[in-house]
Amino acid sequence: MLYLQYANRSDDMSEKKKVVQVKNPKTGRYVKIDREKGRIVAHKKSDGPFKNVAVARKRN
Amino acid sequence: MIFYNPTDNDVLTKRIKYNPRSAFIMTQLGGVKTNLLDEILSQLKTALNQKEIHSLDANSLITGKDFLSKIWNLALSSPIGIAVLSENMQQTTVANIYYELGLMNALGKETVVIKTPKFKIPSDFIRTEYIKYDNSFEKKMDSFLQQIFEQAEYYGVMADSLIAKPLLSIDYLRRAYLITQEDVYKNRALEIIKSNKFDEHTSMMVNSYFDIS
Repeated sequence: MLYLQYANRSDDMSEKKKVVQVKNPKTGRYVKIDREKGRIVAHKKSDGPFKNVAVARKRN
Repeated sequence: MIFYNPTDNDVLTKRIKYNPRSAFIMTQLGGVKTNLLDEILSQLKTALNQKEIHSLDANSLITGKDFLSKIWNLALSSPIGIAVLSENMQQTTVANIYYELGLMNALGKETVVIKTPKFKIPSDFIRTEYIKYDNSFEKKMDSFLQQIFEQAEYYGVMADSLIAKPLLSIDYLRRAYLITQEDVYKNRALEIIKSNKFDEHTSMMVNSYFDIS
């Protein structure tokens, strides 16, 4: 199960959970994933997270 | 994942014996080694031991098979590939090491090059992470190994995020498990296996990832 932390909060939380982002330690860049389709949809070209996309993290 | 037998290019249909929490060391094995190379290998082994990662090289497997099969099996079974290169090595040795490094990159393994200060990296490997052997080697090696364990955590989160595609999810779990040998990844894969129907070949490959009989 994922622990989701929101980069930017919004009213439409359930819609946002469909798309999450994870930081790849190898590149230091974020990867955007469509959880519903099980697909990597984008790799961020610059530093920092995608706006308005939840960050998926390991549960402690 | 489908793998191919390197000697006849047929699809591999037998179980693969994986070596979780291991590193395949690609370097000069025979001949006379320089003192510097011996020193690097000794410090490398110490760094791996500290993280409870066992090191393997082409001499680790004693089989009647040809050398290519042996190398290929080691590259496939280990999660980490470490190439150690020195300017004093013969060109043929360096070529073999680059072949093995490329093979591991293609298989999605975590790789790094350790080089002596005077060794020049060719342009195709310019994006491959490398560590220059100097006074800070221990610190740099520790940082690289730490990053690998962070990468395993990333694979775990990716596996959860890609659960809609069970095989993709399992593949991320496979890599996380191979690096850490932590049961949490194996157990999550088991849940996916139980809740999905895979064909016989896929089941065999997936079971071999986690050493499930």
